[in-house]
Amino acid sequence: MSAASEMGAENQETQPALENATPLTTRVGTVILGRMDFTSELLRLIGMELFKIRRRLMSRVLGTIAVCLALLVPLAVGIEVAVNMQTPASSFAPACPSSAAASGECTPLSHAYLEGIKTSIITSLSEPLRLPSSLELAATQGEFNPALLLIIILVGTIAGGELSSGTIRLMFARGPWRGQFLLAKYGAALICTVVGVLGMAIVGVIAGQLFNLFSGVPQNWTFLNAAWIGHALLYLLATMLNWFMYAVVAIFFAFLGRSTVAGIVGAVTWFFAEPIISNILTFAGNFSVGFAGTFLRALPSYLMGNNARALQLDQAHYLFGGTGPSQSDLQAFITLAIYLAIFIGLTWWLNESRDVTN
Amino acid sequence: MPEVGSCDVARRRRWRRAWRAVKGSEEVQAYIETSLQSEVIISTNRLTKAYGKLVAVNDLHIQVMRGDVFGFLGPNGAGKSTTIRMLLGLVRPTAGSAIIFGMDIAYQMPTILRHVGALIEMPVFHPFLSARDNLHVVAAASGMVSGRANRRRIEEVLELVELKDQEKMVYRKFSLGMKQRLGIAAALLTDPELLLLDEPTNGLDPAGMYEIRQLIQRLAALGKTIFLSSHLLNEVQQVCNRVAILQKGNLIKQGNVRELLRNKEQILVHLRTSDEFERAQAVLAEARVNGVDWLGSVHLEKDRQGQETLHIDAPRTHSAEVNRLLSEHEIFAAELHPYEGSLEEVYLQLTTPATATGEHLGMAALAGNSELLDPQEFHSGTNGTGKSEQDKGASV
Repeated sequence: MSAASEMGAENQETQPALENATPLTTRVGTVILGRMDFTSELLRLIGMELFKIRRRLMSRVLGTIAVCLALLVPLAVGIEVAVNMQTPASSFAPACPSSAAASGECTPLSHAYLEGIKTSIITSLSEPLRLPSSLELAATQGEFNPALLLIIILVGTIAGGELSSGTIRLMFARGPWRGQFLLAKYGAALICTVVGVLGMAIVGVIAGQLFNLFSGVPQNWTFLNAAWIGHALLYLLATMLNWFMYAVVAIFFAFLGRSTVAGIVGAVTWFFAEPIISNILTFAGNFSVGFAGTFLRALPSYLMGNNARALQLDQAHYLFGGTGPSQSDLQAFITLAIYLAIFIGLTWWLNESRDVTN
Repeated sequence: MPEVGSCDVARRRRWRRAWRAVKGSEEVQAYIETSLQSEVIISTNRLTKAYGKLVAVNDLHIQVMRGDVFGFLGPNGAGKSTTIRMLLGLVRPTAGSAIIFGMDIAYQMPTILRHVGALIEMPVFHPFLSARDNLHVVAAASGMVSGRANRRRIEEVLELVELKDQEKMVYRKFSLGMKQRLGIAAALLTDPELLLLDEPTNGLDPAGMYEIRQLIQRLAALGKTIFLSSHLLNEVQQVCNRVAILQKGNLIKQGNVRELLRNKEQILVHLRTSDEFERAQAVLAEARVNGVDWLGSVHLEKDRQGQETLHIDAPRTHSAEVNRLLSEHEIFAAELHPYEGSLEEVYLQLTTPATATGEHLGMAALAGNSELLDPQEFHSGTNGTGKSEQDKGASV
């Protein structure tokens, strides 16, 4: 008889013992389970998501890009200011009109006057390096808002990667219910958004202040009061909400397409398509008359991006001047809440009802 | 096939909500504790999964008792992995139910999963994390506290599967065998009461397979219940005490391994001359006529070397009596081997009708094996039993 058969036979001998009722086994002493209430489990899962993000090379790369973006604008402005600082004051002399030059009416300007023009131009150029303007640039990097794309990539990856690689089945078979895993993703996305916006704002503002030292223009703090700080916080919160809305869209598309690519492409397409659709609707509305025209012109104010930006614009109006948004904060909040409910609800439904077959 | 209607789904949702609302209470905790002490660890009732018209698992009834090492066998596409996925809540059953630790998987999955460790087909982990970090993630998902205690347990399981030296290597660089080991480590991480292992020796070398077998036997000795799905019948035969065989989603056999093999037992006798073979056959046939009821059919087989062997369908424990019977008639065996039979023969007979026609498999012996599926153990007599009886009828 082979060794294997012998082992089998030996095992057969022990079978009656196995069939007997055995006491409930206890876990070994090194397995220490934490609290199992909903919040504790959720916090543990969020911690787990953040641990994965921290250990990912991609998140480090995205973080570095975000810091570079926050530094880029102050750096560009700082270089321009430095170049102008080195330029002689005479170069700032206003050009003499050709007719005046021909008739010899252009008289040379005094050095003090030219220095005044230079200082004025440098003050104007370096304005984005100083608060309050530096806050706007640090948080949004202008109209395009490239940092928002970074959060879409990050969140699309943490949600879709789990589904495309199949690790979702490992997670779902461990204990917490599916909804908690989804909430953990939202929690991690929210934390990344908060850290991203605050981080970029802080880095951008500090970098602006540092580069501003070269301009020699002092920071004017007269704007600073409790109301300004309040609006600044609301502005940052509105920016976070704007980012988080796209993070939610990325999670939805990632779950819908069960992949990272679907999450990123879906949210990025949404991000770029909204302004185009908005313009098309306005354009079509202007060419239509009556109810159809009013309806088409009204539609862009119900698009997600426009409402998220409206909240930012409302605070920017207080902080940095300029025109306010076309729709009210209340409308923006209600619209965004509906978008959130739809996207989170659909993702929840997909997550709960789908079979994990990969 | 029974269908789950929308009312049923709504009822389940309501039940689940109610369950979540009360699960923190002391009464419920006491109920869970009682359920965990149930002797029936897994019990499925008409468990069915259909993907459109394709029925992956049909009316499955299985029972796994505490301490069982339960082999779950079947050809590719038989529905083994789908069943395991249903038991883990990854796939929703189309109909039927499954009870684990006395709790219904439809309502109390999170509580059940805290006592279950699973390895599902090829394990998948985060490719950018090391073995240790992946286990940290699994530990957090399993409810283990972070910190030193957690790290100690991770080290323990890494040592157990011999991945301690590669603990810092990222998962994407792992070989197939290392991935499998990490999967087993993850399954064992919380030291669960029940282990669901789907092809645990996939990708392992013979030494690795042997170690996993040893590990399963050690865990079984500790009182763990193991549900093992495998293609490797020799492996199953060595470690499992009970098996269920699935084909095309239907349960065709369930029973004790020893009971299944009892009907396959043979006594092999080598004799020197063809005259002795003829006389031996005659002696044994006469003994059977004279009422030696444990004697089955007797036939002659030639091996590859052309050596003839007398195959006697009889329990191994009667080897001495066979020897005595022959020697009384002055037939002296050159060699006499008790042969226990193999699960492979049982499996092939049940799953491939063509093989089942082979005389050497001892059809007659197996045909009488239907009592292994006790109809009273199950709620319906129309489960896999019905089909298996048909199959057997055809093959016999």
